[in-house]
Amino acid sequence: MLTVYLDFKSPAAYLAMTPTLALADRLGLATTWKPFRTVERDVPKLGKEETVGESHRRVRAASQRALAIKYAKQQGIDLTFPEKLGASDLALGVLTTIEGDPLPFIQGAFDAYWRDHADLDDLQIVQDLVHKTGTQMSAKLSRSRDLLDAAQDQAEEAGIVGAPAYVIAEQIFVGREHLPWIEEIASTL
Amino acid sequence: MRQALKSDAPLIVYVDIKSPYAFVAIRPTLALEAELGLQFDWRPLTLDIPSYLGSAEKKKGKVVASKGRSQRTWNAIRYSYRDARRYAERQGLILKGTEKIWDSTLPNIGILWVMQTARARLGAYFEAVYPPFWRRELDIEDIAVVENCLNEAGVDASGFAAFASGEGRTRHDALQPQFHPNGIYGVPTYVLGDDILFGREHIPYIRWVLSGRVGDAPDIAYEIA
Repeated sequence: MLTVYLDFKSPAAYLAMTPTLALADRLGLATTWKPFRTVERDVPKLGKEETVGESHRRVRAASQRALAIKYAKQQGIDLTFPEKLGASDLALGVLTTIEGDPLPFIQGAFDAYWRDHADLDDLQIVQDLVHKTGTQMSAKLSRSRDLLDAAQDQAEEAGIVGAPAYVIAEQIFVGREHLPWIEEIASTL
Repeated sequence: MRQALKSDAPLIVYVDIKSPYAFVAIRPTLALEAELGLQFDWRPLTLDIPSYLGSAEKKKGKVVASKGRSQRTWNAIRYSYRDARRYAERQGLILKGTEKIWDSTLPNIGILWVMQTARARLGAYFEAVYPPFWRRELDIEDIAVVENCLNEAGVDASGFAAFASGEGRTRHDALQPQFHPNGIYGVPTYVLGDDILFGREHIPYIRWVLSGRVGDAPDIAYEIA
């Protein structure tokens, strides 16, 4: 059993979907999808005066974006970042309540955020997404944020620090770069 | 100011002795170099960790002083160490969290010294410095310790002290302010043409480029033996 934590606004989680699904298919691996609210930051503007720390954060953020765009291109994805980074809490909360296959909703939410730059914290937008993807929920949408808060607490207590995060055989891996090791573990289960 | 990105070698590799990420990247990167039959341009990047991660001091494994670190930062740092440790163990190495943030300037200048005087011994130098440092057996701020590592690696250390306080120090110090303006912020960083790649997860891509771009470009991955 593989558990995957994701956030729709995380480019790393978005780019992990195809290789993760391919791995799960290849190994016939049962996968559970859980939400994890990440902190995504805009690339800070170059200030007239910067501390070393501010400069480091700006360069790191710009580098991470450039690399995400580069590897997205290899997956055939034209990755563009929204001008203003949105929230995804409401849609992430839905993930805790889905009955049946969550993948149509997950794929729909990723596409809505990254292709349309949709606000996944907007009630109407998330409601439309739920209908469009034929998602059945075990709780009302209005409870989603509270459910996400509870799920977030549980995830942090379990040691999750980012997304995509994978839990397999009690080991936590953050990032799709770990898929070779995850595959190795999964192959022995 | 573009020297940080310029080299006659096909790949520049920036490392810092005190980085656990660099520690677990050394052997795979040396292996790639050998596999491709190339010589990479290895250089030091001495991280200023407190400027972006806050600072901390540990004694007997317990944090006794911490500045500028949120709980979230601490969780991320702990995960990073655990992660680096398990990959180190896969390489037969031991990685113990450091008890303070070390000044790694001297062993990093040692990289410049080895590159200049005994290029073929670079791998041996890394083996003489990295594993014992991460077993907490080396005081890398002591020049005699670094000289000993050079000798152990089969590198003539006579002249190193003068180099470390003269030309080597100048070259090391001249590099450091070039990093941020050139998009470099951490280690290991690989400069491959116009690509600036942070992290050993790019090794599959680097191999693909340096071996002729055959087939589809690979995704990021920590390769496992």
